[in-house]
Amino acid sequence: MIKWHIPLLVACLFVFGGNAFADKTPVEVWYTYIADSEEEQLFFRAIEAFEQNNQDIDVNPVRVPYLQMLQQFITASQGGEAPDLVRLNSRDLGKIGQVRVNGAPLLEDLRPHLTPMERSRIDVRAMNAMRYNHALYSLPVSQASLSLIYNKDIFDAHGLPYPQDDWSIDDMLKVAQLLTKGEVRGLAVPIRVYYWWIAFQTGFGGWLFDGDGNPTLNSVGSAEALQWVLDLELKHGVVAPGTGFDVEAVKTQFQQGKAAMTIDGPWNWKSYTDAGLNLGQALLPTVPQSGKRMSPLLAYIGWSISKQSPNKVATARLAKWLASDTVQRTFALQTYTPPTSVSLKDDPAITGDLNLSGFIRQTEVATPAPTTQAMSLAYEPLNTAIELVYTGKMNPAAALSAANDNLASNLER
Amino acid sequence: MTRIAPLPPVIAGLLFFLLSLSVNAGTLTEVRVVSEAQKYRTIQIEVSVTDARDVDRYEVWFSEQPFRTLTDALLHSQVQVADTSRLERVPEGAAYEDCWEDGLPTHRDPFGSPVISPAAKRWSCQLTGLIPNTDYWIAVVAVDYSGQLLSGQDSLSPIKTRTDIPDQLPAPPDTRPVLSILTSIVICLLALFIYLRRQDMRSGKASANVAHAYVAPALIALAVLSFYPIVYGIWLSFTDAHQSRLGQESFIGLTNFVEVFTSPGFGRVTLFTIIWSVANVTAHVGFGLMLALVLTKAHLKGKLFYRTILLMPWAIPAYISILAWKGILQTDGLFNNILGTEIELLSQVTSAQVLVILVNIWLGIPFMMMSLSGALMAIPGDMYEAADLDGVSKWDQFIHLTLPNLKSTITPLSLLGFIWSFNMFTVIYLITRGNPSVDFGQPGATDILITYVYDVAFDYGRYGVAAAWSVIIFLMLVAFSWVYVKKTKATEAVA
Repeated sequence: MIKWHIPLLVACLFVFGGNAFADKTPVEVWYTYIADSEEEQLFFRAIEAFEQNNQDIDVNPVRVPYLQMLQQFITASQGGEAPDLVRLNSRDLGKIGQVRVNGAPLLEDLRPHLTPMERSRIDVRAMNAMRYNHALYSLPVSQASLSLIYNKDIFDAHGLPYPQDDWSIDDMLKVAQLLTKGEVRGLAVPIRVYYWWIAFQTGFGGWLFDGDGNPTLNSVGSAEALQWVLDLELKHGVVAPGTGFDVEAVKTQFQQGKAAMTIDGPWNWKSYTDAGLNLGQALLPTVPQSGKRMSPLLAYIGWSISKQSPNKVATARLAKWLASDTVQRTFALQTYTPPTSVSLKDDPAITGDLNLSGFIRQTEVATPAPTTQAMSLAYEPLNTAIELVYTGKMNPAAALSAANDNLASNLER
Repeated sequence: MTRIAPLPPVIAGLLFFLLSLSVNAGTLTEVRVVSEAQKYRTIQIEVSVTDARDVDRYEVWFSEQPFRTLTDALLHSQVQVADTSRLERVPEGAAYEDCWEDGLPTHRDPFGSPVISPAAKRWSCQLTGLIPNTDYWIAVVAVDYSGQLLSGQDSLSPIKTRTDIPDQLPAPPDTRPVLSILTSIVICLLALFIYLRRQDMRSGKASANVAHAYVAPALIALAVLSFYPIVYGIWLSFTDAHQSRLGQESFIGLTNFVEVFTSPGFGRVTLFTIIWSVANVTAHVGFGLMLALVLTKAHLKGKLFYRTILLMPWAIPAYISILAWKGILQTDGLFNNILGTEIELLSQVTSAQVLVILVNIWLGIPFMMMSLSGALMAIPGDMYEAADLDGVSKWDQFIHLTLPNLKSTITPLSLLGFIWSFNMFTVIYLITRGNPSVDFGQPGATDILITYVYDVAFDYGRYGVAAAWSVIIFLMLVAFSWVYVKKTKATEAVA
């Protein structure tokens, strides 16, 4: 008799338990926070709060490594297995925006999902940075760009004043030279990675594209910037040899107190403070040759809805919650993530935090990464050009001219 | 109790009509829903204006419940009334939502909000962000420069509306071609089985039926997991498949193959792939055999310890070993730390090429060592005793006894090793990702064919061209294997 009870009980649990879950709308979310990080914990808490207020929705968060997210999402979408909601960087939209499966884009145009009033709560520049052609592909929740971060203890040990917002690159170089002693270098910068070079390029008056989106990698300012930035290692020795192409090596070098200054984003701030560093932050310097300030690429992180999601209304509700002032504020204050919410700009807790407000000021002078196919194709030729100049095989003008031609021909394919 | 007399039907109908038009005193004469312009999560309204004097903006308010005052509703959107002479009209589809004034797209302020001229007689706007199949009450009010509602709009009569337009999901991937190809492959296999079975029956091998039955599941699994991807890859290589038009590719003949053969880096990357494969196989077999010979020496003490140590590279997951090597070889890694140098081993072409080959050699030796140890132990010891009695030198024993006896093992192993090395993706991808760069649009200095295919497919999204590269790799390996087997008579040796 007992033997019959067990399968019956299991069957009941399966049928009725299944029905209980069947009433809820499932929403699968792919996120990119590092495992067990503070960001991930805050994200889980935000999801928990959302589920409590939306009992009809069942959220299933899935962690995907940041560097693999783009390709995994494209592959999943091509197989018809895309998640409902995905965390993407505005820099990825240029690549993902052109992908089509059976003629359909991979991401939902969010314009019909937001009222103008909901939209107006987010910074208009952030919203525009999430558009591909005319479609709005992501709801921006944070923004970040490179900034000048320095180790106060090293400056104090040398009796030098901290970097200031009115610094020029010459000031930065001069101090970096003074601070380069023994194992310690004045600067830790991945000078051979295009993302860092672009910050210098803008300072020297160059930019990646003209008003019509045609590549302009070969401008005079671009070549000057490339020579100047590579000279930090090759001529002045303020950047450690061989670290210029390795972002992680540069991070480790600064973390270990082997560099006085670094050019990095708020995303690494916590790992530096956790390493016991006494940090300060300043705006990236100006370039006397052009009179302009270095303007790094500004990347926005946002939540995008898959075109294939069968539950877009519920998913949009979750995306709006994750972009709400409440969630953005918590992330900003606890993880130094500059928010995109308009009202948080004047939040006393945020403006009162010198470093966070410093990062926000830096984003204000940064340049949003274009969400175009050209941008997604620019990285490869740029890195090749930098490498060829670094190894002495080409001069900056010739290398950038070749990179420009290569990008133009890739765009024609 | 006073009873209110029912209104005559004509008057009641008129009143109902007027209410449904949401007539607001003042500047608005009519607000109507443009039913034919409904979209997913979007309703379009049209507002007729008689007098826009003193109007600063129109506000659209909405609620899921009927409301009489704005405190019970939410502000949906605003349309500014201002001089538009210095503003641009934004074409349809370009703004966040479309709005029109007197039939033309409205002008927009720097923030993208719609602005209409005071002279406009009619404007319409899409109201986005509404949930499908939900009733909404919508009211439009005119607001003056001081932020006050214009007279007569304190008591609102919002119009009730809804959008029932469902979400347009993209068509699911068409699996019919996949199923038909798989079915064809399975049918071909079944036909082959039936044919072979008949042949066996004719030759009196009745027991072979059972053998066919045993082989069948594995063959069907192979058909699904291996044959189909190969067939699909070959098909893709003749199409213009690209990530921007997946599922809509068309046949383009040999264009992709022409592009591959004429691409500037083809010869270089093929040469390095051959150098990489030959160097790896030679070293794997050479060092593997040498270590196997040492470890099979009868008098060697601590064999188990040595075996365990030598098996370590094989026992640890490959990606961990590879990343550990990367950590050692990078500029701030262990190698430079020990020597006190800052040599960029992975940035220089030659050193990077040599190092990725060395790491792969290190990874592959244990497998060869173990396989050859087994083969060495299977050689009868009395042959060596007889050779010793005949005074044959150890070197001659190795050349004339050991090697011939190992041929049946070494030949298929080296063939397998060559194919594995040729297609070894992980080492190069994790250590250098094909870098350092050599020239624009070309494979990197440490790219081999298989790693470059990955870049073509996933960095550039050119699936057709990547498939052509893959087919060429496949053909190269088939040709090599065929020649190798013919020359070495490998299958005969195994048999």
